[in-house]
Amino acid sequence: MNRARTEHSETEHARIEMVMDKILAGEEELLPSSGFVGAVMDRVRQEAAMPAPIPFPWMKAIPLLLLAGGGIAWGTVEMVRAGVTGLSLNALGLTGLSQLKQSWLMFQLLQLSAVQMRSLEQAGWVALALGISLLSWLLSRRLVGSGGLL
Amino acid sequence: MNSATSAENSQADLADVERVLSGDAGAFEGIVRRWQGPLINMAWRYSRDRGRAEEMAQEAFVRAWRGLARWRRESSFSTWLFALAANVYRTELKRFPVETLPLEAAPEPAGLATQLHEMEERGRHEVLRRAVLALPMRYREPVVLFYFHEMDVAAAAHTLGMPEGTLKARLSRARTLLRQRFPQLDEEHDSHTSQKTHSVGHPHFSRSEIAEETGREAVR
Repeated sequence: MNRARTEHSETEHARIEMVMDKILAGEEELLPSSGFVGAVMDRVRQEAAMPAPIPFPWMKAIPLLLLAGGGIAWGTVEMVRAGVTGLSLNALGLTGLSQLKQSWLMFQLLQLSAVQMRSLEQAGWVALALGISLLSWLLSRRLVGSGGLL
Repeated sequence: MNSATSAENSQADLADVERVLSGDAGAFEGIVRRWQGPLINMAWRYSRDRGRAEEMAQEAFVRAWRGLARWRRESSFSTWLFALAANVYRTELKRFPVETLPLEAAPEPAGLATQLHEMEERGRHEVLRRAVLALPMRYREPVVLFYFHEMDVAAAAHTLGMPEGTLKARLSRARTLLRQRFPQLDEEHDSHTSQKTHSVGHPHFSRSEIAEETGREAVR
């Protein structure tokens, strides 16, 4: 009985899908309007008349990006190293729990030498400049994209 | 399109593309003339709005013009053009989704007069076609392109850039959703000449229906 019901259901599904196919495949064709080709060609000619877009200077940008990336990586390594040293000193000398609760970043900064501070500051500026560049690039891409130019 | 015409078109496409790439912008007109019908009809199936279909097809042609140099001759020009057009239409519909409310709000065709029967049937068919647009995009596109390519799974899969198996699975899920929504289609088929008025259902899919189907696909 169940088998018969299943078979009946499958047959019914097949028939519905057949009707569906008939409806969805048997759609009338739209004829393009008479001015369509002209409108497309007008836009194409406009595009052809425009000067070619200036390509992004990847060849110049890649070395700079690599340099900046290296700077950031070096800065980070230096900072982590200084932080580890600072924490070790703290653990050995000043074991008070209240002091460990202090902001570890502030403590590390106090431990840094003048040279390290200068390097860190420079790395910070590079990171900031890179961040701003990235943001402006993303913003410009978004603006150009929403204008349909990409 | 028969194979002879198809081969002729391929030759003409190749020649026109070469001319365009060598600087003759006017040669693109041949491509537009040959493919305007298919691209507009494809856009129509995506949007069911004639004016918008032409705008979308125009945008697709302009994108094709810009990216003509990127067509690698590995696939036919038409395959490349349809894939590009599908991308353009998908992006356009994400920016401005199709508004289906007016049709849903419209009264169902009713009445017993014989002369109205054909109109009613057309109305019901249109509701089913619009219901396709109410499907989630992952199911909608396979359905649209499958029927656009005259039920050729391989062609639809090429246009979408997905394996045939994935397309078949999504197509199957989409048909299940549509079948559940329009169970009376079978009845309609049986009583083709009768005067019976059927309820066409509402071309909306509930979240649970979609979630259930999506879940099934994920499990499989």
